[in-house]
Amino acid sequence: MTGQALLWGTLYALPLFVRSDFLLTIFIFTFIYAILAVTFDLIFGFTGQLSMFHPAVFGVSAYMTYLLATSYKLPFWVATLPSAAAAVVLAVMVGSICFKFRLKTFYFAVVTLAFAEMIRLVVMNWNSVTNGTLGLVVAGKPTIYWPGSGLVPIKGSMGWYYLTLVALSLTVLICARCLSSWMGRCFGAIRLNEDLARTLGINVFRYKLLSFAIGNALASFAGGLYGYYTGYIDPGYLGINQSMEVLAMVLLGGQGTLIGPIVGSLVLTGLPHAIDLRAEMRAILYGAILIFTILVMPRGIVGTLNAWRAKRGP
Amino acid sequence: MALEVRGLGKRFAGLIAVADVSFRVQPGEIVGIIGPNGSGKTTLLSMMAGLLPPTSGSVRWKGQEIQELRPDIIAGLGVVKTFQNPQVFAELSVFDNARVASHLALKRVLGFRRGLEIVGAAGGIEHRLAERVGEVLALCNLGGAADQLAGNLSYGEEKMLGIAMALMCEPELLLLDEPASGLGRDEVRNLASVLDKVHQAGTTLCLVDHKIGFLRGLTHRVIALNYGEKIAEGPPEAVLSEPAVIEAYLGAGHARA
Amino acid sequence: MTQLVLGQVLNGAIIGAMYGIIALGITLTFGITGIVNFALGEFMMIGAYATYALAERGLPYPVAVVPACLIAAAAGYLSNKAFFRFTRNNLVNGLLVSIGLISIFESAAMLLWTATPVEMHFVLPGALRVGDIGLPRMKVVVFAVIVVVIVATYLALARTWLGRAAFAYAQNPEAAMLMGVHTPRLESAVMLYSTGLAGLGGALYASLYSLEPAMGGVYVLKGMEAAILGGIGSLMGSLWGGVILGVIEGVGSIFLPTAFRDAYGLAVLVAILLFRPSGLFGDE
Repeated sequence: MTGQALLWGTLYALPLFVRSDFLLTIFIFTFIYAILAVTFDLIFGFTGQLSMFHPAVFGVSAYMTYLLATSYKLPFWVATLPSAAAAVVLAVMVGSICFKFRLKTFYFAVVTLAFAEMIRLVVMNWNSVTNGTLGLVVAGKPTIYWPGSGLVPIKGSMGWYYLTLVALSLTVLICARCLSSWMGRCFGAIRLNEDLARTLGINVFRYKLLSFAIGNALASFAGGLYGYYTGYIDPGYLGINQSMEVLAMVLLGGQGTLIGPIVGSLVLTGLPHAIDLRAEMRAILYGAILIFTILVMPRGIVGTLNAWRAKRGP
Repeated sequence: MALEVRGLGKRFAGLIAVADVSFRVQPGEIVGIIGPNGSGKTTLLSMMAGLLPPTSGSVRWKGQEIQELRPDIIAGLGVVKTFQNPQVFAELSVFDNARVASHLALKRVLGFRRGLEIVGAAGGIEHRLAERVGEVLALCNLGGAADQLAGNLSYGEEKMLGIAMALMCEPELLLLDEPASGLGRDEVRNLASVLDKVHQAGTTLCLVDHKIGFLRGLTHRVIALNYGEKIAEGPPEAVLSEPAVIEAYLGAGHARA
Repeated sequence: MTQLVLGQVLNGAIIGAMYGIIALGITLTFGITGIVNFALGEFMMIGAYATYALAERGLPYPVAVVPACLIAAAAGYLSNKAFFRFTRNNLVNGLLVSIGLISIFESAAMLLWTATPVEMHFVLPGALRVGDIGLPRMKVVVFAVIVVVIVATYLALARTWLGRAAFAYAQNPEAAMLMGVHTPRLESAVMLYSTGLAGLGGALYASLYSLEPAMGGVYVLKGMEAAILGGIGSLMGSLWGGVILGVIEGVGSIFLPTAFRDAYGLAVLVAILLFRPSGLFGDE
């Protein structure tokens, strides 16, 4: 418990000590990707479903948030809401099909990947709306509603740092509440022994779908943030490499935990940039870290730490 | 308030596992089902719990046909089954195993209001659940093992945990698939006393097993199967001394005229 | 119209054969050793670039193919010895090792040859005529080679003791070991062969198309699609799955927008997985 307090305290206090834009940028990207990683872990680490669908909601929401904001003159934070709703709709449609047919791990991954790819193709070719492969340039700053001051634009590294950190904190809070309740117990039961869960009265289909919907809905916020932060949205958001990166972060950090994916995101986002290398060497380093993790620390950083602590005793 | 099995049958591509079996279980009864290996006992029980669709016949619980319903819905209606090979959540502690099994009970108590628990507004429900888990584990003589990992339990303890989890679902009818198999004599005694307590509390029991002594002391009525067909039904002593039953178990030479 | 369809069917079958040889590698690896080699496309890339590099140094194409395959196979053998063998029956670990290797191999190729596509000099001129359609001779050669290799693999495994040993190992490694099957050697052999196959696919690919470091990514996905379509574990199924996938993409592009080419195969894949998960030729 105190470990958590220390972590969050440090993160919130960080900009007071760290002024380097470069470092703050790393954290901003870490936080955005961590939202993806944590929500992916909700579906995968906690409920046991290997979903390759995250890039679809990440990308769709990036496009939708921006397009709604510009077409309907909506403030950023308002535009994220219909995008999240769209993510829920997509997740429920895809999830219903997959879970109705009781697809096992590998096949579930393949089908969610197939659906994500189909959505990517639509996005890539719907030139009138998405500008196809050329992508969209995001001009304008996101605004959030601050009681007393009205709509406040987010600018500068510090503003973005806190915006993304708060978004991550809320994501983790919501996931934590769900997981510490009966819902979390149902997820765990489904992950460990689906058939047994069924005989104990748990509606497995419903809870798999719930986990999938919540995970994708929360992940969609990362899309809006990423689009506005980088200033550029293109169909690559929906590509399979996003799935790979998120999976890597979760496995590196520790699946089945909420902090693990954040740690994984920090390491995989930060480390390659912390060492000054050319792009190809950075990618090689990335690959090496992944392989090293799986061979040496299969439970991930946080998982291994937890196991080590448990062995040492109370 | 009874379970009625009517003309139930199961055919696996040429092999007839269960053929036209009919019987009733009255509330408050303890019914035993016996028969040699391969006589269709486990298949019968699985069909009664909705784990296997029958190829013919029906299962009625309180007048409603349940054979086509999902297992989780049947559990919700009050019919819960345990497994011959104990099924537990190996990575969780004994306490957590039982707590997972409290889902049905929680649904009954809170209904949709259980959503409030997520936002932290469901009152002391978690506390009450924890108390109930403690009670059920104590009833099953597992209280001392509450913190152990389910995967580390002995075979007998695992089977007990399976029963404890079924009890957490507050079943009206508890179906037990060979609860005494693989247990030593002391464990069988323990099992019998637990099942007796469960019965006293109002649960109807229907169990499949091989251990004749165990069944003799526990059951009110016994049904005997052979090659998927019902061959005898009645009080334990009567059924166990029936020639057809003895022949089914031991062969024709042993049957008395 | 029929000419159009026929043309797409033939071209689709040829591309499909390429998918098929990767699919065979995937199915062999997963079916026998339980390892998910999602990086198989990288070994195809290695085979392709190795062929290119050797041909650039003056080796005639058919001669360059052989060492190229061996180089790919050697890389596969080393990857297995160092990493893959620890991921047996563990889908997620296998995925992660594959992602890592993809990063490493792709970057290495970028360092050596940059991202600019490279092309081999014209390998085999001339075309065959089928009706009104001209099929480049090299494409037909590629198709023929792949079909021969896949059928030979099938025969080798279906009819010999090697196949029986592999099958036994797939079912129960301990029992196989006790029966005298040298299991680590078998596993190495399977990895060597499957990556060699991918290398061959790459070498053949190099004769027809331009190469770039990222080429493996698309093909491993197609290979996986083809393997699933045909049924994981079915050797001939990988060829059929590949060809069917290639043809669906080609024919689909006639009647529906070409931009969604990949989606047609994907839609069929999803349908198969929902209604017949064991694939067209797998066992239930």
